[in-house]
Amino acid sequence: MYSALNTEPPVEPPPTTAWGVERGEMQDRIDTKRNVRSSRPRKPTKVKMQDVYSFNLEVSREEASIIHQVKERVKEQGRVWWAMEAKNGAGWYLQPEIFAQAEGYFVSSLSLVTMTSTLQLKKLIRSGIPPLLRPRVWSAVSGANKRRSSAPESYYSDLLAAVEGRETPATRQIDHDLGRTFPTHPWIDSADGRAALRRILVAYSFRDSRVGYCQGMNFVAAMLLLVMKKEEDAFWMLAVLVENVLFDDCYSENLYGCHVEQRVFKDLLRKKLPRLAVRLEEIEFDVSLVTTEWFLCLFAKSLPSETTMRVWDVLFNEGASILFIVALAIFKMREEELFAAKHVGEVMKILHDATHGAYDPDELLKVAFEKVGVMSLQSIVKQRKKEQPAVIAELERRGQLNPSDSVQSSSR
Amino acid sequence: MATTGANHMQAKLVLLGDMGAGKSSLALRFVKGQFFDYQESTIGAAFLTQTLAVNETTVKFEIWDTAGQERYHSLAPMYYRGAAAAIIVYDITNSDSFGRAKKWVQELQRQGNPNLVMALAGNKADLSSKRKIEAEEGQSYAEENGLFFMETSAKTSQNVNELFYEIARKLPKAQPAQASGMSLTDGSTSRLGPAKSTCCA
Ligand SMILES: Nc1nc2c(ncn2[C@@H]2O[C@H](COP(=O)(O)OP(=O)(O)OP(=O)(O)O)[C@@H](O)[C@H]2O)c(=O)[nH]1
Ligand SMILES: [Mg+2]
Repeated sequence: MYSALNTEPPVEPPPTTAWGVERGEMQDRIDTKRNVRSSRPRKPTKVKMQDVYSFNLEVSREEASIIHQVKERVKEQGRVWWAMEAKNGAGWYLQPEIFAQAEGYFVSSLSLVTMTSTLQLKKLIRSGIPPLLRPRVWSAVSGANKRRSSAPESYYSDLLAAVEGRETPATRQIDHDLGRTFPTHPWIDSADGRAALRRILVAYSFRDSRVGYCQGMNFVAAMLLLVMKKEEDAFWMLAVLVENVLFDDCYSENLYGCHVEQRVFKDLLRKKLPRLAVRLEEIEFDVSLVTTEWFLCLFAKSLPSETTMRVWDVLFNEGASILFIVALAIFKMREEELFAAKHVGEVMKILHDATHGAYDPDELLKVAFEKVGVMSLQSIVKQRKKEQPAVIAELERRGQLNPSDSVQSSSR
Repeated sequence: MATTGANHMQAKLVLLGDMGAGKSSLALRFVKGQFFDYQESTIGAAFLTQTLAVNETTVKFEIWDTAGQERYHSLAPMYYRGAAAAIIVYDITNSDSFGRAKKWVQELQRQGNPNLVMALAGNKADLSSKRKIEAEEGQSYAEENGLFFMETSAKTSQNVNELFYEIARKLPKAQPAQASGMSLTDGSTSRLGPAKSTCCA
């Protein structure tokens, strides 16, 4: 299709420079303009570089060195995966039993060998899937393969043919947002990139007319294209994401599900970081001011790309509770600073820096898994049920609930 | 809410309006003096600050630049709650966006703060060849509803500083320094010297 990533084919041993691109990093340039006037206090030198997914960055020397380290670790992780392939056979993670857990099967019904593999896979995925293997692993563990196999082979091309030339409010909004989705990314900003992005978003808007198009999906779909590389694969990932992986109704009309999520998150924050939660309430900082974007873009607009992808690795294997865990980890990492903040503006600045500067995925995920702790999907589902009536009441009060909106809770 | 210190006031300002009307572009032009032909769509809201010097007083705007898609409407109260000022933006080349602006005005009148300073901005004034809404139409709607009105262009920066400056001037005056008759009519923008800015997306 296209090459957003200059990576090697999957079944070759890890070459010394693979698993990520370093295009551009050799030409790290010092922003000389900034250094022209020596009379002014000099700003810290910025380095221009591209990250693993070819996003253009302008970062400090320290951040650049972290990004280099992360690229090295990505390569190392590639070798670990390669060793697993050699030991367990190519595509060992593609066996449905191995990720059955994520689909809700009882663990007791799995054989010991399978269970070991399942746990191994979970651990491996938490340490990161090499960019090159992401398409296959994601498709397998998320259920996208399964979903796709139950549809006719030509589903996607038929859908595209059927919607060709049709115009709806959703397609108009999509057209409006195409150029406004990661406009500085070299591939997404290209004619091919925009055309592919348009096709998957338009196709999805017809597949699920209740969701149609929600701003935020543009960023999610663009990242999926960058990772999956094949448009059709990206489409199925989008479908399984919205329909299975994420909580219900998070993109639907009036964002009902998103409102529920915000309440669930506030409740979690009160439980996990009670002192900070009280403090933020005192200074009238509503955490939804930041978490709305985090949850609707699945961090794609706030965290650096490889960090976002590491969160998505876990998202597709373990489910949507990782979004809450990572959000809590961000607050946790800056707890003291946030506690000392006296003003909403300060809090926004701290959280902005904490997310946009999170170039080290392991640092964030370590806090997420070790300090925040895992919470079961069940407990969150339960909490969501509890919060639903309040959200319905609130939306009704504001006259923003359409009778057509189904707000009956389903399984998630 | 606008809060005042000795010579310093802080004012929460919210930007509302249809998707693509130019809210983010206006904020970015005002805060950083920049403009992009392709401005990323806003999800939830973005937060920016900018300080204006108005005579001896400084006004620090805390700007909430909200997302414009209709379904994000249900999140809006979080952003306009406690705001001292609101700019409702429409795109002069798009009549739907003018309709959307009117709805925002109604909602703020119904639920907002009675002391809220409201401005109506007809943006993309540089695209006059594609104009759908005449300036008079915006002007008379604004007059009927007690807002002040300007046509702006984030692209050429026409009236952008003026718009924020006018809001600063209209904020409830608890400051003696502000009584000294600063006015916009002299047309000078050079004194609007932004003192400090930060920007968080
Ligand atoms: N010609 C012209 N284009 C503008 C002007 N202001 C904004 N634009 C363009 O219009 C598009 C939308 O602008 P934004 O500032 O992103 O609009 P918004 O209201 O923030 O949109 P949402 O975030 O989707 O709600 C961008 O591509 C801008 O470049 C203007 O004054 N003149
Ligand atoms: Mg915007």
